Amino acid sequence: MPRILPQVLRNLLRKPATVKYPQVRVEPPKGYRGRPVVDPERCISCWLCIRTCPARAITISKETKKPSIWLGRCIFCGECAEVCPARAITMTKEFEFTTLR
Amino acid sequence: MTFIVPIGPQHPALKEPAFFRFEVKGEEIADVDIRFGYVHRGIEEALQRRDYKHDVYLIERICGICNVVHTTTYCQAIEQLAGVEPPERAKYIRVIILELERIHSHLLWLGIAAHQIGFNTLFMLAWRDRERVMDLREIISGNRVTSATNTIGGVRRDVKPEHVPTILRGLDELEHSTKYYIDLFNSDRTILARCTNVGILTKDDARKFCAVGPLARASGVDTDIRRDHPYAIYDKLSFNVITEREGDVWAKSMVRLREILEAIHIVRQAVKEMPIGPIRIKVNLEIPRNEAIERTEAPRGELFYYALSNGTDSPERVHVRTPTCANFASIKRMFLGGTVAEIPIVIWSIDPCFACNDRVALVDSHTGKTFNLSLKELRKWRH
Amino acid sequence: MEVLSFILGSLVFPGLLFASLIGLLYIGIDRKVTGHMQNRIGPPIWQEFLDVGKLLSKEDITPGAAQSPIFTAAPLVALGAAVTVMLLIPVSSPQPTLTMVADLIVIIYLLNIPAICMMLGGYSSGSPFGATGAGRHVAQLFGYEFVFIIAILVAVVRVGSLGLPTIVNYQAQQGWLILDWRLLPAAIAALVAIQGKLLRVPFDIPEAESEIVHGSLTEYSGPKLAIWRLAYDVETIVVAGLFAALFLGGPTAYVIGGVQIPSIVDFLIKTLAIVLLTTTLRNIMARLRIDQALKFYWTSATLLAIISLVLVLVVP
Ligand code: SF4
Ligand code: SF4
Repeated sequence: MPRILPQVLRNLLRKPATVKYPQVRVEPPKGYRGRPVVDPERCISCWLCIRTCPARAITISKETKKPSIWLGRCIFCGECAEVCPARAITMTKEFEFTTLR
Repeated sequence: MTFIVPIGPQHPALKEPAFFRFEVKGEEIADVDIRFGYVHRGIEEALQRRDYKHDVYLIERICGICNVVHTTTYCQAIEQLAGVEPPERAKYIRVIILELERIHSHLLWLGIAAHQIGFNTLFMLAWRDRERVMDLREIISGNRVTSATNTIGGVRRDVKPEHVPTILRGLDELEHSTKYYIDLFNSDRTILARCTNVGILTKDDARKFCAVGPLARASGVDTDIRRDHPYAIYDKLSFNVITEREGDVWAKSMVRLREILEAIHIVRQAVKEMPIGPIRIKVNLEIPRNEAIERTEAPRGELFYYALSNGTDSPERVHVRTPTCANFASIKRMFLGGTVAEIPIVIWSIDPCFACNDRVALVDSHTGKTFNLSLKELRKWRH
Repeated sequence: MEVLSFILGSLVFPGLLFASLIGLLYIGIDRKVTGHMQNRIGPPIWQEFLDVGKLLSKEDITPGAAQSPIFTAAPLVALGAAVTVMLLIPVSSPQPTLTMVADLIVIIYLLNIPAICMMLGGYSSGSPFGATGAGRHVAQLFGYEFVFIIAILVAVVRVGSLGLPTIVNYQAQQGWLILDWRLLPAAIAALVAIQGKLLRVPFDIPEAESEIVHGSLTEYSGPKLAIWRLAYDVETIVVAGLFAALFLGGPTAYVIGGVQIPSIVDFLIKTLAIVLLTTTLRNIMARLRIDQALKFYWTSATLLAIISLVLVLVVP
């Protein structure tokens, strides 16, 4: 008898290990490196984040002189959040960026 | 009558583009011609145009599956260039993530190997258990795949004490299921029928073709960089180097499966013995002219880095030799005399990673001939 | 009247429409159960309807090397043959829609047509994968067909008739043939042959996707592939129905607690049970190599069938 048969039959009664993704969501753990967001209120415009970003994803907006993150280039490394002296950048748990337009 | 079976550039047996041109007599393989270069990305050149710190993130993207071992090797090479030593705790954290990476890489391998021999249930179960490791890595480093943990002079993120019980619990579950898979590979008749005496690489051939990693160890060559040239804290940990004698696909599977158990053992030790202390030091990255060589044991075998600094904050040259690159020499020997049915599992038995492997090859598109350029011609070509 | 009922029979019940609906549904159940066996959720049960529907609406791309009438005709002939067999096996009563003398021989012939069409399609597709797949299919055909015929022969010898209705009626009086210990080995051999006929693991060698992409069907796309899928689904039901008629007593009507249960329900339950059995088998094994599969068929499986045949002939 094949060795895997008992496991296969037991799986029939078990709860599946997968979830129906768009309806059921698994919350990422604490400290997940999701989408970085800039808090313009706290930012002191030191532009350290721009120099640190390895993907050159951060640009400065002309009017406000505050940084803004171009998600198309961002690699979610978290360096900008780490380096910011004013803690103006935080990594959120958000990881779904595709949108229906 | 021979005819050509083209495996690639796109084929279900290949997870990345490469081209295997098989000359087949009926079902039997008469000859094979291998061609790479579809995913060459020019990373070595790009590394020279960024500074040392930014390079870490580019290095991380050489290979998705074994990204930590790449960054660890790179960081160790640069630390060697700069003449600094990362703190003790950082080395422990590196080892923990490195070994978790080995577990996940080998489980991924197991899943796809099962798929190649048509055993889809084992494929799904192996990948279900792989999710446990991915979860642990997500907890520790903040992402499932690219860990972004290593930096020059240490690691960026600490393993917090509250994570330790979760890690240990996850390891227990993994140990349980790995033992089950080992049992399965030892007893299931169809797996044995497909894996034994297939794609054999003898010990002499493994030596001759300079095979590395699990491929060499499955042929009985006792080599492991972790033991032979310990880096990080591997000299303080106890672990066995797994070898098998047969050199067939079954032996390669067994080496990988038993290495998972060893990796679990290593992570347990490292988590328990981790000293308290800083996790990173500041490194002055204007490194005077110096060169460094670093070797580590990636999940697929020996990973080799060469780095040359020139006094600025970006490297003059970084050279990478990945384990797959070393292992491709042996693959032709493993095919000859086999059948078409063995192609997928034999290709997969060396655990190839084409993206890390690809180099530029110059091919005349009319005649199909490859040729070499001298350095002088290359310079002329560049301008 | 005769003609009208025949047309109705071949197009609606138990022909094309009924067979496709049940076939698609059962393959959907098969995929769902496979999902759960592999500890995942799996596709919804009607996924096969969606897949075939989508394929039907897609553009048909035929590679330049495959522009032959054979390539186009192959899926249609296969579907036609499978549906014809549906008319020959008992579905809603012991009496099939079409009756003829020695209908088992016709069934055996017709059941080979989808496989032969698949080979022709593969050879005419001009792709090395198609050719390799077709070559493997020929080899495998010689493996399972022999076992399948001997296993059927055992039942025929036991009952003493080549007509399916007679075999079904015999079982209604004497009990299911599979419960007879002399025929049990033959039933097992027939099941193994079915596994090979339906190209399911461990005998999915002719369409081993990691080796030769999709074997003979590699170059098919769009509506033609949809018809292939349909033909395969109908063939599954047909083969399961044949097995049920031969060894499991065929469709019978019951009365449980005063409620009359029509024999069509019995047919559905029995075929589903057989499909689920093959589902289980395909989820607990790795694919064999063609030489290993042939060796298995020609030794163990043939031996089982022949033992059964000898037992039936010798033991009264
Ligand atoms: S590092 Fe922080 S404070 Fe400085 S510019 Fe960036 S977001 Fe603003
Ligand atoms: S997360 Fe990394 S890549 Fe993204 S903006 Fe911050 S520093 Fe740049």
